[in-house]
Amino acid sequence: MTRDRAAGERPSPGDRSNDEGRAGIRAARVRIAASFAGAGVRGWLHARDLDTGAEIALGADIPVSTGSVHKLCLLVTLFREAAAGRIELARRMDLSADGRTVGRAGLSAMLDAARLSLRDLAYLTVAVSDNAAADVLWDELGLETVNRTMADLGLTRTVAVHKVRDLYAALAEDIGPDSPVDPVVVARLRVLDPAFTNRSTAREMTTLLAALWQGGACPGESGAALRRLLGLQVWPHRLASGFPFDDVRVHGKTGTLPTMRHEVGVVEYPDGGRYAIAVFTRAASTSITLPAADAVIGTAARLAVDALRNAATR
Amino acid sequence: MDLLGHLRCFRAVAEKRHFGRAAEVLRIAQPSLSQRIRRLERELGVTLFDRGPRGVELTPAGALLLTQAEELLECSTRLLATAADLRSGRAGTLRAAVPPDLGPAALAALLTGFEAASPGTRLELRELPVDAVVRELAQSIVDVAVVRHPCPASGLAFGPVLHQPLGVLLASGSRCADRPELAVAELTGRRLVLFPRASAPALYDEVITALSRHGCTPEAVVDPSGPDIVGALVLTGSAVALVPRTVVPSGTVWRPLTGTPLTWRTSTAWPAGHDGPAVRLFARAAHQALTAHGGLLPDPDRPLFPRPAMEFPL
Repeated sequence: MTRDRAAGERPSPGDRSNDEGRAGIRAARVRIAASFAGAGVRGWLHARDLDTGAEIALGADIPVSTGSVHKLCLLVTLFREAAAGRIELARRMDLSADGRTVGRAGLSAMLDAARLSLRDLAYLTVAVSDNAAADVLWDELGLETVNRTMADLGLTRTVAVHKVRDLYAALAEDIGPDSPVDPVVVARLRVLDPAFTNRSTAREMTTLLAALWQGGACPGESGAALRRLLGLQVWPHRLASGFPFDDVRVHGKTGTLPTMRHEVGVVEYPDGGRYAIAVFTRAASTSITLPAADAVIGTAARLAVDALRNAATR
Repeated sequence: MDLLGHLRCFRAVAEKRHFGRAAEVLRIAQPSLSQRIRRLERELGVTLFDRGPRGVELTPAGALLLTQAEELLECSTRLLATAADLRSGRAGTLRAAVPPDLGPAALAALLTGFEAASPGTRLELRELPVDAVVRELAQSIVDVAVVRHPCPASGLAFGPVLHQPLGVLLASGSRCADRPELAVAELTGRRLVLFPRASAPALYDEVITALSRHGCTPEAVVDPSGPDIVGALVLTGSAVALVPRTVVPSGTVWRPLTGTPLTWRTSTAWPAGHDGPAVRLFARAAHQALTAHGGLLPDPDRPLFPRPAMEFPL
């Protein structure tokens, strides 16, 4: 099955089919907004067809606190440094049992000393959003290198101001002795304010993914290695839940903060269609477990991808 | 002791978790039922139930024995059915079932094909939905069947899987009715009619998933309450129906979907280990009739991309 992309590649004003394509995108935006509202969240979304450049945007240029989505910037930097020969991915790090950044998965949850290569730390950082593994990499690269790399790739609004341990220290300080699900407490959390914390926009995240998929961000084997890692993330509840198809590949990196649930990633269809998607959400409910808010990330992403696929076949 | 009779009582109490209700089902007095269960427990030397004030619960030993009791009862049903066939001289009869909507051409070819291959055998053919057919295959009321997948596989063996394409039934005058074929994505925004979900939940969900895989997330799927209502909804133009190629009611047209994206998976099935010569001839005749006359297609080679949440390697 091959898709005729020619119509999508040659937009001509006034062309009837192109008008239909635009109408399709408009209709999809309405449905995506309705899905966000129906799940009780505010949503920011950007999706782009990696081959035609066609896009769909909802609040895509508004800065949002990225949380663990920023680990993608960290890893693109790591693999870009490796491609430039400035860092050796197989170099092994001695990780003592003490002083690890807290978390509920991976090295953050493990008890004993370990020795792991930089690329295996990268794997843990993607697979289970391992905070301890990520901070080893942050310490190795430094905030400045990551921010400079993002700027080199044209991402001017994607900025990291702290490593994972400092992010969580600020969160813990704001929560204090109170309940993290108390709306009064949530309202005062600085890590939800993009001016205070690590931030980006939905459009810049798909720009980054496009650069990774098209080889510009991490050339050669190092890019392939990072793309592979993004396909090994274990969480099925967000982006992947919108694509419950055995023949479709989903790559992604999640991010979660109180009331905020995000995922950015790339979805590949067997006919060659490739789409970068960034979905950021903020729920009205402060509950820690909110399956509908997780699932709407997948639903919104699929509605966006369908609109792009449809536009490309017209 | 009448072991089978006692096991029937055991099964009823286990199902109802209540002596009174089980006694009603068995149409015997409750004291007599309690006595039988006690007798069975004595005979087996095992306590089958924990009796509480609000009902009864299976003990772990009871749960283990229940599985075997059910197998024994099923065997006895089969034995009695075979004996009845021998008594009535029907041992030369093959009892077969087919699902609805295979189409008259395929069925005619199946009847002729089987008759030619096995002139001595009388074929008793019935139309049965998939849940009923699975039950009757397990009880040996049906020897062989054509089933739709997803079909519970325990205890059954299957012939090769074929795909029956679905198309769209729409009013003759409606939008797109003059086109030779339609794309799934064009169904977005239309009200769709499928079969009642309760009649085959797994197949229903599979069709919805296939719709979204090919770019249509339907806003409304109408649960039809009868074939005439389906026809009426289509005729008024307020909905389109997803059905296999069929003899169309007047005022409607059937159009295939581009690229055959929606199919019902179909195969022959028989109780594992019970594929006598007549069953094998029927299975072969059915496969031949469905491919040559029913328009069913072989299983396409679809790529598979396992995800980490799957846990087992492929």
